Amino acid sequence: MQYGMIIDLERCVGCHACTIACKAEWEVPVVNSRNWVNRLGPSMTPEGLASTYYPGLCNHCEKPPCVDECPADPVDMTFTDAKSGATKTMSVSATWKDPFDGTVQIDKERCLGCGACADACPYGARFVNPDLADDNSMGKADKCTYCKPRVDAGFEPACVQTCIAGARIFGDLDDPSSEVSKYVKNGAKGIEPTGGHLGPNSRYYGNKRDMSLLFSSSTPALADLGSAKRRAMLATMVKPAMNKARDIGLLGLAGTMLVKKMNEDE
Amino acid sequence: MAFNLTRRKFLQTASLAAAAVPLSKVVSAETGITKAPLDAMGTHGDQTVVGGICEMCFWRCQLVGKVRDGRLMKLEGNPKSIDNGAAICARGNAGVKLLYDPDRLKYPLKNVGKRGAPTWKRISWQEALDTCGDKLNQVVDKYGAHGISVFPHGASAKYPMHYFERTVGTHNVSEASFFQCRGVRDTAYIATTGKAPGEKVDMPNTKVMFFIGTHIGENVHVSHVKQYIQGLQNGAKLIVADPRFSASAAKADIWVQIKPGTDTAYMLAIMNYLVQNDKYDHDFIENHSYGFEEFSEAIKEWTLEKAAAECDIPAAQIKEVADLLAANAPNVAIHPGRHVTWHGNDFQRQRALACLTGLLGAYYVKGGWVPAKGPKVKGFSWKNHDHGTDYNLNYNQEEEALRHPYAPPGTPSELIRDCAISGKPYPIKGCVVWGQNPMQTIPNQEKMKQVFMQMDFVMCVDIMPTDATLWADILLPEASYLERYDYIKKGTQWNLAETHQQYIAPRMPLVDPMFERKDQVYITNELAKRMGHASEIPVKSLEEMTEKSLASAGLSIAQIKAEDGIHIQPGKDPYSMPEDFEVQLYNDDLADAGFPGAPTYIAVPDVPKGFARLLYGRAPVHTFNRSQNNVWLHNAMPVNPVWVNNEVAGKLGLMDGDTVSVVNSEGVASGTTTTVKVTPGIRKDCVYMYHGYGSTNPALSVGKDQGIDDQKLITILTADPESGCSGMRNNFVKLVKNGKVLDMPA
Amino acid sequence: MTTTDTSENISSVYRFLAQCMEYPDQSWMSDNFFLALDNLLDNLGGQTEKESIHKALAGPSKYTDSIEDLQVEYTRLFINARPHVVAPPYGSVYIDKSLQGKFAGDTLAFYREKGFAMDDSADLPDHLIHELEFLSLLAADNDQEGEELFLKKFFRPWFRQFHQRVVAESQHPYFQVVSQLIDFFTKEEDNDGFQLNPA
Repeated sequence: MQYGMIIDLERCVGCHACTIACKAEWEVPVVNSRNWVNRLGPSMTPEGLASTYYPGLCNHCEKPPCVDECPADPVDMTFTDAKSGATKTMSVSATWKDPFDGTVQIDKERCLGCGACADACPYGARFVNPDLADDNSMGKADKCTYCKPRVDAGFEPACVQTCIAGARIFGDLDDPSSEVSKYVKNGAKGIEPTGGHLGPNSRYYGNKRDMSLLFSSSTPALADLGSAKRRAMLATMVKPAMNKARDIGLLGLAGTMLVKKMNEDE
Repeated sequence: MAFNLTRRKFLQTASLAAAAVPLSKVVSAETGITKAPLDAMGTHGDQTVVGGICEMCFWRCQLVGKVRDGRLMKLEGNPKSIDNGAAICARGNAGVKLLYDPDRLKYPLKNVGKRGAPTWKRISWQEALDTCGDKLNQVVDKYGAHGISVFPHGASAKYPMHYFERTVGTHNVSEASFFQCRGVRDTAYIATTGKAPGEKVDMPNTKVMFFIGTHIGENVHVSHVKQYIQGLQNGAKLIVADPRFSASAAKADIWVQIKPGTDTAYMLAIMNYLVQNDKYDHDFIENHSYGFEEFSEAIKEWTLEKAAAECDIPAAQIKEVADLLAANAPNVAIHPGRHVTWHGNDFQRQRALACLTGLLGAYYVKGGWVPAKGPKVKGFSWKNHDHGTDYNLNYNQEEEALRHPYAPPGTPSELIRDCAISGKPYPIKGCVVWGQNPMQTIPNQEKMKQVFMQMDFVMCVDIMPTDATLWADILLPEASYLERYDYIKKGTQWNLAETHQQYIAPRMPLVDPMFERKDQVYITNELAKRMGHASEIPVKSLEEMTEKSLASAGLSIAQIKAEDGIHIQPGKDPYSMPEDFEVQLYNDDLADAGFPGAPTYIAVPDVPKGFARLLYGRAPVHTFNRSQNNVWLHNAMPVNPVWVNNEVAGKLGLMDGDTVSVVNSEGVASGTTTTVKVTPGIRKDCVYMYHGYGSTNPALSVGKDQGIDDQKLITILTADPESGCSGMRNNFVKLVKNGKVLDMPA
Repeated sequence: MTTTDTSENISSVYRFLAQCMEYPDQSWMSDNFFLALDNLLDNLGGQTEKESIHKALAGPSKYTDSIEDLQVEYTRLFINARPHVVAPPYGSVYIDKSLQGKFAGDTLAFYREKGFAMDDSADLPDHLIHELEFLSLLAADNDQEGEELFLKKFFRPWFRQFHQRVVAESQHPYFQVVSQLIDFFTKEEDNDGFQLNPA
């Protein structure tokens, strides 16, 4: 199974309901976003004058570049297939791609808040949520989960439920009879970064002029992994200090050290 | 600080005689501390409270609240709704942030400073109501009931408006939703078809949608958007006449890049072409219209070529549109529009829309104008009394006729303001502002300030500080739409093609009002008691009003709650024309009153050299200035970029994203700045911005001075002669960059 | 002096400070109240502060009397004002830029964990008065650990900002002094009585 989301630009009216519902559902800080709507045009395209929207969110990629950059100590984690009950145990850091539903998730308890994963994402789909700062970090990595807790409980993702135009369709891309698969057959496409092969699973469907405007304006370059790796490395270097700090009860101090290191990096 | 001890030492040594004071009651039980999970829980496990009716705008979607520990976490569409369903728009979702806006009014306030520059003092409700009662009594005693003017808006303002209009007896009531919005649409259609049109076009089942300026997508009303999208999905063609490539134009098959103000000429040419080429609905015209001969004669000068020149569009495109409409008649949706107070020639444009619908036979047919058959629920309010015409400013005593015979209910704003400022024919010295913000709804702000300044007493009732509440002597905090019983929303399933159903959904509180906020029935009744009208009080509470209304439909609050907030019952087929339905293509009454009997094009002033016409419209995430202080909505669209044609921008050296201010032809400057949006998607003779930005009340910590207030730049007012509604698009502006005023190239 | 006595003392101080932050009104702002405040300030060596309050109360009133002066200033500082309310007394406003934000929810959850609930007539959980009342209850229970955790997680993070605004912008010494007293009694100290996190 691979969950995916289709944004039907023929239907989308750019009302931003999806972004606000997400903020409410997941208590996302005002200045951060798990999803977004960029208003595009009116601009001239080879297909004519166009104006459309880029409702973006985590692409839950086939090959998520964010997952590889996580410096947190790996632990064994057992995943369960919601449908068959089958289980699988994998060694994962604080972020991973779920072997059964294909979503990319974060363990906020183990996240170091270093932001390496956010640096690695070419779409800007991740951020470090300062509201979740604890004694060990400035915050925790945060992003769209495809509303996994809701979906697992039998609900639609919040953005899908609130979409006033029925422009967001969620489902299993591996199931050929699903609505999302039908859209893919009809030409729904993910936004692949220039030169990248990430396999984005949030995909866009629309007429020629809207798709032309969307892809020409919103195709990102691959992220500079050097910066992500540097950030992850620094976090790893600070980790023992942090553990030590925890042992001697100087939790506040570890936070300060981490800040300082990151500032130097910048 | 001079305290010479540390806290610890103090506690160990000091002998304390500090008076212990009673604590608020608390319930104590032993529990341990558990670590809360870092990750947000999501709201799907929270308690669901039913009964919400949204009023972030005035479409009123049905809601449920997700409540955790008494805290409203999230609003969702009520899954039982056959109107909006589980979906709500950005504004609806952001209602939580209105409810909990720190800047919201909390307690009654008295202005102990100056009007317009207030110093507030919290006072008790007793004192506030006594003061309002006394002051209003003084006005009535000295000047008569007509000495009071009322500026109401929204569901909460209906009950007090009726009190002042019917019981106290003043004609001087001006609703922005009529005089600065849709009043002229309703009265023009009533003069043509006998019915106010709403936006009742059967878009899901139509073959062609025809919009004049309507920009669905930027103008967002959930079930209306659903209808529009369903129509497009079903293959309907979309024609959009708009000087700008709007959200609707972007989905259109034909974009008519029309010159602002010329829409009536455009439609007259379409209609003339249909008549001349025998492409109109003969059966409908024969059986359901009046005055076809006079009408045909009156519009025959409007050839395609003449309109093409007037409207600055190709004649071939006018023909293409007319043919497309004729080929698909009668299943065509001629949209009546919503905010239509544009140029002061709007009654004629709305008449033209109504007549065009008739020529195409598009009333009561699939895909045409079809009023759904909703349920009947009785309202309870103050009893009607006839207060005569002696003090009706819209009544010309000498000629014994109305000045604006097609005015919507109430009195045109300008008649009230002129009377208040001049004191003629009588003084207006008391002002009640209830939910409206006349500083940003009625153009010409200097005039509104004069109106306020000459009053003996001004009271405002609102949920938020606005640019109008700065002028209050007494400012009362109102319970919001999420905290009270109120308005009963009723209607039918959103798509008329589906099983006919009706719904009744009363507004019921999702959370209790916080602080000392009160609702309109409490406040109005308390005023009535102090003004000698206690015996006429129609209901004691909003809950009683709701209960009585529901009883008229055989329902009760308890039953509605048991039915998850919405009562649904079988509906009726709306697709049948009443036998006496008639379209007055030519209207004798209009002609008798000295107005054109047939729809007539009245040209608007041309753009002066060096200027561009100022156009404005809806932002999808805002309801005018009302939502500007909402952090989520503000964050989604912090400013309102001014749209400038790319060729114009090139000549002016303006780049996308440049910061500019705006000045109008009367020298009024915007005061604030915004960014430039350079695009080929707008005509060269106009600029465009979203309406509602640039609020100036400093109490709005988020919304103040964000973007530009288009309303401030609208100082030239054109009163529509038939209706008295405000024409607001005859204002001309230049952009100012780095202090330099830029001449707009022709 | 035993630990219990200290707890009782601090408990009544917190309660008294909560009372000081109520909307000024004749009903409680009596001569006795000001005597109690004087006594507290005397014990702390706050002569200057004491005098400044008395001077302001005895001086010419801008409005009808000295209580109304305090009411207008309270409204301006804490309720609604032009140009802008100075220091809303709710933690969420500083942390979440909203009333009833996550911070208010977390605060309420902490009260619950300690076995307390909000009364129906109460203001929002993160109102300064309720936070002080809660601290008073914890002190009465001699729950020093809970008191310190609450101060660190739910009180100081926003009170610091609140305090700065009140001290900088209050036009009446009463509110500056009360805010200073609250600041004084809620600051963290090390074993020698030095403050770890100065405001």
